[in-house]
Amino acid sequence: MSEAAGEPLIAIALRTLAVSGAALTLAVAIGVPLGLALGHRRFPGRGLLVATVNAGMGLPPVVVGLLVALALWRSGPLGSLGWMYTPQAMVIAQVAIALPLVVGITLAAVGALPGDFHLQVRALGVRGPRAAWLLVRETRRGLLAAVIAALGGILSEVGAVTMVGGNLEGETRVLTSGILMYTQMGRFESALALAAVLLGLTFVLAAALTAVQQGSRR
Amino acid sequence: MTNDAVLAARDLVIEPGARAGGFLLRIRDLALQRGEVLAILGPNGAGKTTLLRALAGLVAPREGAIEVCAPRGVALVFQHPLLLAGSVLWNAEVPLWGRGIARRERRARATKALARFGIDALAEREATTLSGGEARRLALARAFVVAPDLLLLDEPFDDLDAPGREVLVQDLGSAIRETGIAVALVTHDLRQALLLADRIAVLSAGALAQVGARDEVLRRPASAEVAALVGMSNWLPGRVRARDTAGLAVVEVAPGGAFRSATPYASGADVWVGIRPEHVKIDADRSDPNTVGEASVETRVSDGALVVAWIAWHGLRLRTHLLAGRGLGHTLKAGDGVFIAVRPEDVHVLPREAARP
Repeated sequence: MSEAAGEPLIAIALRTLAVSGAALTLAVAIGVPLGLALGHRRFPGRGLLVATVNAGMGLPPVVVGLLVALALWRSGPLGSLGWMYTPQAMVIAQVAIALPLVVGITLAAVGALPGDFHLQVRALGVRGPRAAWLLVRETRRGLLAAVIAALGGILSEVGAVTMVGGNLEGETRVLTSGILMYTQMGRFESALALAAVLLGLTFVLAAALTAVQQGSRR
Repeated sequence: MTNDAVLAARDLVIEPGARAGGFLLRIRDLALQRGEVLAILGPNGAGKTTLLRALAGLVAPREGAIEVCAPRGVALVFQHPLLLAGSVLWNAEVPLWGRGIARRERRARATKALARFGIDALAEREATTLSGGEARRLALARAFVVAPDLLLLDEPFDDLDAPGREVLVQDLGSAIRETGIAVALVTHDLRQALLLADRIAVLSAGALAQVGARDEVLRRPASAEVAALVGMSNWLPGRVRARDTAGLAVVEVAPGGAFRSATPYASGADVWVGIRPEHVKIDADRSDPNTVGEASVETRVSDGALVVAWIAWHGLRLRTHLLAGRGLGHTLKAGDGVFIAVRPEDVHVLPREAARP
């Protein structure tokens, strides 16, 4: 780790956005359909799956980091990918943290619909992709809440990304791991600068999502 | 199916819904003609909702066939209609959107449907902010928007107050007449069933106990249970005693108390005698040729429109209905001595094996 001025703040912020954005996109793309399906289909083993999701929502990130590290380690099952200490590893860890949140909150949003929702939609003559779109439309506030929760979990997370990313300057340093490092080094000015950017980013994204959510009421 | 038939169901066996009594629903024969309103009446848990969902094609019967001749479709309005997030207009558009109809046409047809039920002024309102009555109107407008051939209604007036119900019944009645649509509605409430029905089907414990023209079912219920459900509240055990000079049977229901009836049952037969309360006539001056003798008013209650009086007669209590506010309905009071009269054609007689309610 460099003791000098270090990597420019803007590069760290952009990398954070790229890694977290990729993780959020993946978690939502996988988690929302999974949550919707889990929410309105009844099949054997569903209860166990729901319990797993709920447990996953409280999974300590540091444990996720350990498990991802074990998988990606040179001798691990995915070691041949060579992804340990790369942004890909950080994305995997963040998806593992965010996915249960997205699935769980989506599930709750579907559960809040009337019990005969699907029957009524069918009785209205709406089938197939249009019925799926209605389901998304009716649960959209819950889905936005899922996205906000996932974003919060991903952006603020430090343990797992440091474990599997390594906080390598110019490669895997993100805002949170940078703050951790500078604080440990006693370079509070740098830590504060990164923290300010992180806070600003969180605020701007949360505000944007809230605006979308408010707008969707109309 | 005949030319005018919209629906014909035969030998159906349907799995019960979650709220039904756990028995299989068995429907031997049920048909519906164009322009006809059939009320399916039954107590809670009789399987009404399950039957309606099967007729709508939402639940597949385990056995039997449901033939539906409805080229423009079938619309089902649930007991608690789902209102989707968005405007009233959007809600009315949804069935057309589901059928892939272009936005411009959708809007025009949805606006027309809303106008039919008097809520076109609410088109831009958020649907979830509607009152119970407005929501009910929206659900009906949404059902009519596709101009279906068959409309199925689950307890359509249940959550409305009496004035709102009357106005809605009028609007729905005109919509039915103008479109010539066939309607099946289910309800547990006889008075709601009677508001629109041409025919009544009585569903009890998973089977149709009787299907017939409205007046036929009201006047000639096929069993004690149907009698209770359609409000034939005077239901008395009796025995056919003799024939009078006109050939009418004299049916004794109490020592010294008898009604005359055109029943074919022979003397000595044990029977049930059913008389609708509105057919027990209070005869103040003993002028009615169908008099059945002296009686006294035991109690009297009135809701302002109808007077319900219980009359003591030969040790029995007969229920009678009068219009409130004028004539006897105004003057009658408990303790009054009166005469009562019942026309022979209003005395319904069934053999005793039919169980008492």
